[in-house]
Amino acid sequence: MISTMKLFKKLVFISLTVFLFLNAQIKLDVNTIPNRVNVLLDGVNLGLSPIINERIKPGLHRFEIKKKGFAPLSYDLLVNPAQAVKLDFFLNPIYEVKFKTEEKGLVFEINGEHRWDVPLVRLELEAGDHSLRVFKIGEIIDEQIITVDEPKRFNYFLKKPLTSE
Amino acid sequence: MHNSMSFILFISFLYSMNQEPTYLVLNHFDQEIPEVEKSLIESFNNSKFEFNESIKNIFHNLDNYDNPASSHMDIIKELGTEHKVNFILLNKIEHNEDRFILDGLLFNTRSGGLIHRRKIDLKQYLDGQINELVMWVGNTLGIQQKDWQENRESILFSDPEEIEYDKTPMGAAIRSLIVPGWGQAYSNKKISSKVWFGVEASLSLAFILSYLNYDTSVTNFLKNSNLYNATDDEKLVSKYRSDAERDWINHIIYSKLAIALASATGTGWVSNSIHAWVFGPRPYTNIYQEWGSSPKLEEG
Repeated sequence: MISTMKLFKKLVFISLTVFLFLNAQIKLDVNTIPNRVNVLLDGVNLGLSPIINERIKPGLHRFEIKKKGFAPLSYDLLVNPAQAVKLDFFLNPIYEVKFKTEEKGLVFEINGEHRWDVPLVRLELEAGDHSLRVFKIGEIIDEQIITVDEPKRFNYFLKKPLTSE
Repeated sequence: MHNSMSFILFISFLYSMNQEPTYLVLNHFDQEIPEVEKSLIESFNNSKFEFNESIKNIFHNLDNYDNPASSHMDIIKELGTEHKVNFILLNKIEHNEDRFILDGLLFNTRSGGLIHRRKIDLKQYLDGQINELVMWVGNTLGIQQKDWQENRESILFSDPEEIEYDKTPMGAAIRSLIVPGWGQAYSNKKISSKVWFGVEASLSLAFILSYLNYDTSVTNFLKNSNLYNATDDEKLVSKYRSDAERDWINHIIYSKLAIALASATGTGWVSNSIHAWVFGPRPYTNIYQEWGSSPKLEEG
């Protein structure tokens, strides 16, 4: 009788442990810069950041962070069992940039993706460094890195440095 | 009985308040980061840190375990007993070009489990690794200082809506609306500033002169009309009549001229303000061809 009771207790303890382990939820805090950004966890909107004291189950999760004027961010995270997980996301702004040239017959390419051959073009570029390549009659004549650190205009000149007014 | 229990609880609480959390810090960095230990000690003088460089391979490939939180419970407990610490703090920093990844794990030596984890992937900034470590440790202790946060935010690009410029096109437009040419001067466009000021000043002066002439013509016309009506002298009648007729013609000419000049002045004034806005100060960067010449950038 005593051994049956012991076995029963053991079974209850094991079941409880397994149940708690399978349903374990981890405390989740999400902080973003800038604040007040929509945070989606596995497609479900958690609300505006900062997210404090949210719960998350261990396993693979996908975070998506979206705000107008900033590059959207998606982040896959394997959440391991721990008491708390704190995530910081830094969103990179998108700046409106004008690219102008008075040189004739040039074709510009940025980041190996976008090409244009008009004297003035408006672009929306993520803040940071971008690769600029310049072509003339099908040949590459220049390649350099430009830094987009604010909404601004770029004026491109061939060799001869000019002074602006 | 109740009072003595409360007293014991109160003493226990005071005792626990005075307990400084003790940490065994294991720093696994792929590059040497100077003064990390000193920074942690200085930033959290209410905590005790013990640093150990020799414990290296225990937590290797932690993520390969099904349950990393409880994968090393026995070792954590042993280390806790051996070093007499409450927590084990494992900080891993890996550098990748201009970024670094901080993976921070905090283990409780009493339970042996992982209680807190923080992963951060960030662009390098001045003393960034130390700052991020201090923020992470501060986070586990519930301490965050504003300057740590500000230091981190200093590397981030500004929100376009929050960027403030010293000079703006609107500032130029308003200035030109007050004094023609001022907005252009504010935008360092000296020639157009002088041209606009000169044109507007000339138009305004011409308008004032036309108005004054118109006013004089009206006054003279009324005067000569009265004199014409008041006299019977043939010669004077003829003189006042011809004078009044001349004043009448002048008043019409100056009236039309004043209206035209007023319109031109007003239109020019508004145009000058619009010009100041269109050619107002905006940030720019001049890019010069690098290939075949020395690189040069000019910013404004």
